[in-house]
Amino acid sequence: MTTLLLALHVLLAVIILVSRNMLTAVILLAVLSLFSSLLFFILHAPDVALTEAAVGAGVSTFLYIWIIRKTEMEIKP
Amino acid sequence: MNTQAAFSVIIYLFIGSGVISLYRVLSGPTAADRLIGLNIISAQILAVLVLFAAMENMHVYLDVALVYDIFGFVGILAIARYTGKKEALK
Repeated sequence: MTTLLLALHVLLAVIILVSRNMLTAVILLAVLSLFSSLLFFILHAPDVALTEAAVGAGVSTFLYIWIIRKTEMEIKP
Repeated sequence: MNTQAAFSVIIYLFIGSGVISLYRVLSGPTAADRLIGLNIISAQILAVLVLFAAMENMHVYLDVALVYDIFGFVGILAIARYTGKKEALK
């Protein structure tokens, strides 16, 4: 199961790097954070999984969406 | 079949169905499709976390599922608000 999750991590990271749309990249980053949290959980580290779930899924996604909205407003006069 | 093996089979089934529903996230035509896919995968992985906590018989592990549910909802809400505002501007 660990090998499957690690292969999924690599696949998702490459797709995030080559995607040209900002919103697609943010949504895929949320999925990557979700699988990363599951990997930490399966490896018997629930505290790391807790931090990854709080920071990666919630705060990071919220922050990226906020910044994308702010910068789009500045570019579009 | 004992209880441990049944838990293991159910966890593998949930992770497999999560990987299958990753297809909608990777190749959704619009952002709403990707958002629905993220929501489905989030629910399935949440079930895996709760099942793993029940299998290991440790109720400390349930906190991870609780915190992920709250903060994942915040993230999905932020993406949905951004998508709705962008659609309203068109």
